[in-house]
Amino acid sequence: MTALVEQIANGMMMGAIYVLVALGLVLIFGVMEVLNFAHGVIFMAGGYVCDVVFMHVLPSYPLAVVATVLALALVGVALERVVFRRLRANVPMQIVASLGLILIAENAAVLLFGPSALQLTVPSVRSLVRVGDLTFTVQHVVVIAACVVVIAALHLFLHRTRLGTALRATSQNAEAARVIGIDADRIYRLTFAIGCALAGLGGALIGPLFLIFPQMGDLPLLKGLTAIVLGGMGSIAGAIVGGFAIGIIEAVSTLFITTDYRDMVVFAMLIAVLLIRPWGLFGVRVRGDA
Amino acid sequence: MRGRAGAVRPATGMAFAAVLYLLAPVFAGSPYVLFALTLTLCYAIPAVALNLLLGYTGLVSLGHMGFAGVGAYVTALLMKNAAVPFAPALAAGTLAAGVVGALVGIPCLRLRSHFFIIVTLAVGLVLFLLFNNLDWLTGGAAGLPGVPRPHPINLGFAVVDPRRPVGFYLVAATLFLLVFAVQYTLVHSDFGRSLAAIRQDETLAASRGVDVFAHKLAVFALSAALAGLGGGLLIDFLRAAAPQSFGFLEDINLVLIVIVGGAGSLFGPLLGALLFIALPETLRIADTYRMVLFGAALLALALSAPRGLSGLAAAAFRKLRPQASA
Repeated sequence: MTALVEQIANGMMMGAIYVLVALGLVLIFGVMEVLNFAHGVIFMAGGYVCDVVFMHVLPSYPLAVVATVLALALVGVALERVVFRRLRANVPMQIVASLGLILIAENAAVLLFGPSALQLTVPSVRSLVRVGDLTFTVQHVVVIAACVVVIAALHLFLHRTRLGTALRATSQNAEAARVIGIDADRIYRLTFAIGCALAGLGGALIGPLFLIFPQMGDLPLLKGLTAIVLGGMGSIAGAIVGGFAIGIIEAVSTLFITTDYRDMVVFAMLIAVLLIRPWGLFGVRVRGDA
Repeated sequence: MRGRAGAVRPATGMAFAAVLYLLAPVFAGSPYVLFALTLTLCYAIPAVALNLLLGYTGLVSLGHMGFAGVGAYVTALLMKNAAVPFAPALAAGTLAAGVVGALVGIPCLRLRSHFFIIVTLAVGLVLFLLFNNLDWLTGGAAGLPGVPRPHPINLGFAVVDPRRPVGFYLVAATLFLLVFAVQYTLVHSDFGRSLAAIRQDETLAASRGVDVFAHKLAVFALSAALAGLGGGLLIDFLRAAAPQSFGFLEDINLVLIVIVGGAGSLFGPLLGALLFIALPETLRIADTYRMVLFGAALLALALSAPRGLSGLAAAAFRKLRPQASA
């Protein structure tokens, strides 16, 4: 029983990370119909930027995280401007461009920081929280709390502000949004900035718990993609449920089968869900869906 | 789009086959070049298979090296553990990959485009994880080393020995030409024209009486089978089946070969395989700096050539044409 609760808590923590990745992916896909396969290296960049800022500029972890989020938002703006604006509706070339970005980023990380992983030690990893028989690092709590704050803030932004409403309008019908005077290019820029900022936040939060290395974003990207497909591709609530579900299921699965099969459980679950609901858990069934 | 599919006449095809075979005596003295060329053909076969989906039917499959892996492991297990000769083992591998492709296709092909892409990615990952973890069957992460090469083939006028670089190159070239011929025949058949109609407008195709699902399933199973053929050839060439040959990076690499070479063009897959397999192999691209440059080149290509290199070449050709006839 203790083991189960412990794995659920670990799963919540990883799930929170997947949610941060999935939210960016689903926003970018929902608004621009772009599948950003380079999202994993943005996540990785978040880890490295946070490490550099914390070690060399600001010896305060919370401020380093904020700086990381801002830096990655700028990267997002640049990416949208230079790359993805021109590749809307061309999925094959989005894949080519993403792989180009992945190769550049992962190898640049090796050139700049060396091939071995960096260890980012912050106070919140060394201090522990005790709940009954279980102990967790404070960082576990920080990750989950940060994710909850992000979800709440995103919800308020999308539903209570003019800009957020404009973003939702653009995702529903870009042409109609232009007709009523919404600057769609500005919305696209904003979407990419938010998406990349959230991925960077994920990398900055997970960095101290695990290690920071060039491929650290690969699995979160795959799990994030799985989460948005589970959730129904375009549903923000779906991405959140999908992300947490994946985190918890993979953590709990390690109680029953070897960790070798942990990732397979996740991908097999995706296939199984789509067999029953081809439009995802929260997606809308459209004409032509089986 | 005139002449896009009809650009290869039988004479051109014969000349192409002749060139492919003649490369063997030309490079007989340089086994390294033959190694790079054979490896290229091993990847060009699954690339042609993926081209049938991606180029001619408009379906993006991100897990195709998984099917190549099914063909590879079946071929390797039959040859290694049951001492089955190469040809029937490869045929069994091809068939097995086709069956797995059909089983995967039945549920997945009902999904809408972006769902389909991610699910094929998941299928590829699951297959990779099975190769990597079913230690009792696939040898796990270490793979299956020591797959024997085919026996010498007596053609009457000559003996081809696949245990030598020239011999294996000839086997690979023959299989590639076979797969190329399948691609050519398919594209020029009524079936292929129905696929093109599906790519252009699925609803319209259905309303004109094309059974969209049956066509998609047939081409998906065929494509998986051909990928399996390539996988079986690859592991017999490398003499070992290893899970890393069929992982996520290889899946993406195969998609790149097809897209950069030019999806929907007959020679695109071979062009892409030359670029992504032979070129890095001969230049020994492993250096981190060069990988950054390679990434930048891919990015530049994505931004400047929406239809890949074949598209770029075709556009250049069209520009030259009027001047030549004027």
